[in-house]
Amino acid sequence: MALTLTCPVCGKRNGYEFRYGGEDKGPRPAEEGLTPRAWCDYVHMNTCTVGIQKEWWCHRDGCGAWFTTFRDTTKNLEVKPPEAENGQA
Amino acid sequence: MDRLKQLPTLRINTDEPLTLKYRRKTYRGAAGDTVATALYAGGVRIFGRSLKYHRPRGLYSLDGECSNTCMAVDGIPNVRTENTLLKDGMVVDAQNVKGSANFDWLGFIDKLDWMMPAGFYYKTMHKPAAVWPVAMKQIRKAAGLGVISPDDEMKGRYDEQYLTAEVTVIGGGPAGMAAALAAAESGHRVVLLESRPHLGGCFDYRVTTNGQGTHLYERARELAEQVKQTANIRRFEHAAMVGAYNNNLITAFQVGKAGDGFTERYIEIRSASVVVATGCIERPLLFEHNERPGVMQVGCAHRLARTYGILPGKEAVFSVGHDLGLEAAVDLSDLGVKIACVADIREDGQRPDLLEALAERDIPVLGGWVATHAHGGKTVKKATLSTVEGTVRRQFPCDLLVASAGLTPVSGPFILAQAGMGYDRRTGYFLPTGLPEKMFPAGRITGINDPDAIEASGRLAGLEAAAAAGADVTQAAAAARQAVAALPGPERGCKLVTAPVKGRKSFICFDEDATVKSVKQAIDAGFDVPELVKRYAAVGLGPGQSGIPGHNLPLFVAKYTASTGTPKPTTVRPPLVPTYIATYAGYNHHMFKRTPLHDSQKADGGIFRNIGVWQRARYFSEDFDCKEEILNVRNNVGMLDGSTLGKFRIHGPDALKALQRVYVSDMSKVTEGRIKYSAMCNDDGCVIDDGVVTKLGENDYCFTTSTGRAGQASEWIRYHTRFDNWDFHIVNLTDSMGVINLSGPNARKVLAKAVNIDVSNEAFPFSGYREFFIRETIPVRAMRLGFVGELSYELHVPASYMQTVWDMLKEAGAEFGIRNFGVETQNVLRMEKCHIILGQESEQRTNLLDVGLGFLWDRTKSDAKTVGAVALRQAENDPGRLTLVGIRMADDTRAARDGAIIVDTKVRGYVATMRKSFTTGEAVGMALVESQLAGIDTRLQIFEDECNGELLDARVVPMPFYDPEGERMKL
Amino acid sequence: MFGKRKPLWGTKKRLKSSYDAVIIGGGLHGLAAAYYLAKEHGLTDVAILEKRYIGFGGAGRNTAIVRANQRTQENVPLYKEALDLWPVLTKELNFNLMFNNCGNLNLMHSEAAMKAARMTIATAQFHGVESHLIDAKEAKALVPALNISEDITFPIHGAMYHPPGGIVRHDAVVWGLAKGCAKHGVHIHQQTEATGILSAGGRITGVDTARGRIQTPRVLVSAGGYSAGIMYHMLGIKLPISVLTIQAMVTQPLKPILDHVVSSGAYHCYANQTLKGEIATGAHMDPWPNYTTQNTAHYIKHQAEALSDWLPCLRGVKFMRIWGGLADMTPDMAPVMDGNDPIDGLYMDCGWGYFGFKSCSAVGKYMAEYMATGNCPEMLKPFHLRRYENHRLMGETAALVNYTPDN
Repeated sequence: MALTLTCPVCGKRNGYEFRYGGEDKGPRPAEEGLTPRAWCDYVHMNTCTVGIQKEWWCHRDGCGAWFTTFRDTTKNLEVKPPEAENGQA
Repeated sequence: MDRLKQLPTLRINTDEPLTLKYRRKTYRGAAGDTVATALYAGGVRIFGRSLKYHRPRGLYSLDGECSNTCMAVDGIPNVRTENTLLKDGMVVDAQNVKGSANFDWLGFIDKLDWMMPAGFYYKTMHKPAAVWPVAMKQIRKAAGLGVISPDDEMKGRYDEQYLTAEVTVIGGGPAGMAAALAAAESGHRVVLLESRPHLGGCFDYRVTTNGQGTHLYERARELAEQVKQTANIRRFEHAAMVGAYNNNLITAFQVGKAGDGFTERYIEIRSASVVVATGCIERPLLFEHNERPGVMQVGCAHRLARTYGILPGKEAVFSVGHDLGLEAAVDLSDLGVKIACVADIREDGQRPDLLEALAERDIPVLGGWVATHAHGGKTVKKATLSTVEGTVRRQFPCDLLVASAGLTPVSGPFILAQAGMGYDRRTGYFLPTGLPEKMFPAGRITGINDPDAIEASGRLAGLEAAAAAGADVTQAAAAARQAVAALPGPERGCKLVTAPVKGRKSFICFDEDATVKSVKQAIDAGFDVPELVKRYAAVGLGPGQSGIPGHNLPLFVAKYTASTGTPKPTTVRPPLVPTYIATYAGYNHHMFKRTPLHDSQKADGGIFRNIGVWQRARYFSEDFDCKEEILNVRNNVGMLDGSTLGKFRIHGPDALKALQRVYVSDMSKVTEGRIKYSAMCNDDGCVIDDGVVTKLGENDYCFTTSTGRAGQASEWIRYHTRFDNWDFHIVNLTDSMGVINLSGPNARKVLAKAVNIDVSNEAFPFSGYREFFIRETIPVRAMRLGFVGELSYELHVPASYMQTVWDMLKEAGAEFGIRNFGVETQNVLRMEKCHIILGQESEQRTNLLDVGLGFLWDRTKSDAKTVGAVALRQAENDPGRLTLVGIRMADDTRAARDGAIIVDTKVRGYVATMRKSFTTGEAVGMALVESQLAGIDTRLQIFEDECNGELLDARVVPMPFYDPEGERMKL
Repeated sequence: MFGKRKPLWGTKKRLKSSYDAVIIGGGLHGLAAAYYLAKEHGLTDVAILEKRYIGFGGAGRNTAIVRANQRTQENVPLYKEALDLWPVLTKELNFNLMFNNCGNLNLMHSEAAMKAARMTIATAQFHGVESHLIDAKEAKALVPALNISEDITFPIHGAMYHPPGGIVRHDAVVWGLAKGCAKHGVHIHQQTEATGILSAGGRITGVDTARGRIQTPRVLVSAGGYSAGIMYHMLGIKLPISVLTIQAMVTQPLKPILDHVVSSGAYHCYANQTLKGEIATGAHMDPWPNYTTQNTAHYIKHQAEALSDWLPCLRGVKFMRIWGGLADMTPDMAPVMDGNDPIDGLYMDCGWGYFGFKSCSAVGKYMAEYMATGNCPEMLKPFHLRRYENHRLMGETAALVNYTPDN
């Protein structure tokens, strides 16, 4: 495969310049009243989406920025954000 | 054999003779010959023996689809001699023979095929169990083709090229050249890959004419000349495409020619769009003994004559299913081969002019006939032909049987690029059902054969590819589309699956000796999809990949299972052409980081080890226990190159917030002039890093990380603050600053001589931080630490001044007995102090609290959402976790080895680090044990590897082992 | 000698509307569980649902290495049992699984690695599994092709030598187990995709397939790399899994040159010679999740560079083909085997990463026991899903958990 990703700073680059940072699970939850299960869900559990998922990447061998992008896990290609996400943005 | 010297199509230069040696005999060839053509010209017909049945094998295709002509060349095994250019003085040898290729003692195995039906391995040799290991040894010996020895060395220079292009064209035949020329018109950068040593493809050797009356070989040379004249086409000849990946990444390797600076070259092209003009190979004809030497494909026979000037045989029978066969028969007849007969699977649809030409030469054509049997023990002597239904048979004596069922497209690039493949009923080809993005087919791969149509489709594909890469070629493309439409389209292909035979010796896959019969057996056993047959009957898994069986296997499976659906192709995998590991490896340089003191450390006798990305001096003598180094630090003073330490500055309005997020301590308590030791955890509470933080000013800090974490520190902090929109900057100073660790009771005396600030304990106490200049020039950041447990200064110095400062200190310390110490000494010194090294005294199962660093954790700052704090709180009172303890052996002369385990009936922990301390004389160390065993004086039993069940005794003791009050670091 | 050829795993069966147990995934774990359910527990009314054909996934894509030299005491006995089962299964199934008991060498490239190996070796020896630490010269004596010079990227300091390990023919295990399943009445449904898992009142009630609905009180999800996706998309259950592509490749076949399985963590590379003579090699994975099984240009090159260093005689050998498979990685490099939580009758056997082959026989045996009795066997207890929320990761990898799936 030949993954390319689009860094918001550096543009479209070879996928191997980047580091994958996991599925997007939102900001860190508040610590107050956090159960072990809820915490584990945030830290370890994945949806393992078959299809398009929003995920974090770091342009490690470039500018160092963290950013989210969408990728189709069945094709291993970066894709445009789905419509719904666009609407919210 | 004399060559046909006057042919205008020749690719050999007989004025440049070359020789090779094979079985002590010298063979003569010419520049441009392949090893196999030179041997063939010298009368060699059998090149080696087949994998399983030791059947004789000869020249079949000339393009390397099977391993028939694989030989050892200059000691390198499995060289495809049919497409390896001859170099003067080569020495070749046959493979998989006991004796010689002509007389192989193991040839009898061919008669035993009945003992080896498909999958027989799975059903035999396991009863009784003792048989199998013996049988397996024999199987291993019998298997395999080439021979290598452990000290073989692959000579040569291996190059790498990484290209970007707007358009890459795979295939330098007429369609590919037309595509490249068309794409280049828009000014795009074009790369053209051709696997043969010269451009030309299917035009290169043919003397028929195109619509303009030009001989095809002339047209090929015209196009090649235009390509050469076009500056924005980079052409790579003798460069086989081996991989195609999504996003149009193409890989290839090129074989260097005489005068090139490389033996082979790995090429990787990132291309905006791709034209696939790989053309066709021939679909092998399935009949009895269809791979007997003397049986060859149309292109092979034709090119032997036209390209290499060798008449492939004296008397030939043709059994073909495509007009190229008729064309070759006419041409070979004109060149002097006697053609006994041409059997054409097709009853009609042949080009009339070719039939006329054959009639003019009195060559009989049998429409609806096919070869069923090649006779002859080692080479072909006779051929049996029959009607396709098998009703009538005739025999012809011959020494050459040109056999081919038709064409099959080289669709590998599409399959590799994840295109779905489907069966096309008109052409009988497997073609992409949907094209990968920005990938365009051109030429014969689409099923066309008309020379003008081939060029026109190439031009159209080239323009489409240029457009996909951003060029505006609307008008030109429209014209090209019209041109294509006006020319003949895809032709009906020959659909015959097998000749009317039972198939015991009809080989579907040459490389693995798989026959029609063995495939039937596999299907009968329930392996009824091609991918399963492939595995069970071993078809297409040999060196030739699926070049030979790729098309026939799915056709046959569909026919035999009377599958109602269409045939499904098996997949192909990179590399499409087997490629040397040396070629893939390329330059293969070793990359390491060296500290600014590397050379001087080396000169001082440092013994280096690779530690992470660095090379570090681990020892300074052959005594790997480092007794003298250790005692010198304890008693005098030593110096360590600590430059690999991660060094960072973080500043900006939210710098403190970021530190609060990642460090477990309350970082608001860091004050100027003082250092703070703290740790970072991951979200499980495991310590992932520790280091010291110093404050330079408001929201301006420096921090150090362990050597291994330096690469990730910045990424880590930014990751854990990615939702916060905080404003801070991180500067990685790891490489720009070196670190000198000056340790030992005499350290202050040394430093005092070298610098002109007050280094007294009052002015610069333990945990202090100072910035000053040496000789008003060299900026130094100095901190008083205690990792090794002695009076100790850590000096951070610009990398460019490191050697200077080091030398000054060394000179100043001479009178105090200063000497180097290495990483291992540091390891022992800190172990005696029970200062942990992450990964050595910690692991995945231990958190901050377990390894005794709980004192660093400030639980009051929950607003900071400190990484790790949640997990620490949740696991805080959990019993039975691994806990770090100090241990001492019952017998001080016998330290347990690092990694020994602590056991009762189960494993309860393990020894992380243990040494016999030169300082205290005790055998002490640190261990991770289940918490119920962590109480002082708990007796532990230690199980070492190779202890034969004899356990060692130890007990838990207080930490640290050396200077428990910590007075020496505060001296 | 071979008799009339019958389909190895029976004629094609009609998909019934109910089964006592349904197993999703016709790979090694599913086949083994079905085999033992039928053979040991009399639960013969079992359906295996396979979307493509048996052995399509990891079962046919791994490089067939078996060993029992794991790091922790929770893992070693399980793998030891799996290793001991190969000869037993060969006999039981009357199918030659071609166990080549050639032994494994795990190369060590630093003093620290040698120490880490000692702990693993001591654990193995403590459990009666043969494993030794040997130095570079001893390693060279076993594998003459090794380059033990100092002048390579990761000089070889020694190796963990594990004689009981070796290679088994992976396809043979698939087909042999399928044969055994069929013999005991299990229905293997190929080209039958499970499309939904049904439950009511906290109990499993059935499975939807592309060919119709099946009622069943028990479902085992053992679909290799596809398990986590199935669990989430069909049941909304998230797992601590990242599905990565792992690649392997073979060279052209050679006469015997490598007599052991040799692997190197530092180089991310292992090599062994198949019975056919090919050098099979692989290991590294692209550290981002995907379901493509695509191979990469990057990796075949990396592999060549690594082999050039530590097995330099292979430089004159050609790579013949490379392929990819899925590895469902967990943060602690140990699987998740659990049942009846949160749904009664739902069993999962996943998160095997790249260890699914070597463990399949023993795991099938214990998962069958679990499914038949409803009680978790002692051997499987440490592998429950809740260990992650209890902050009790397994320690199978010494490395610390990071935020990326490959740690």
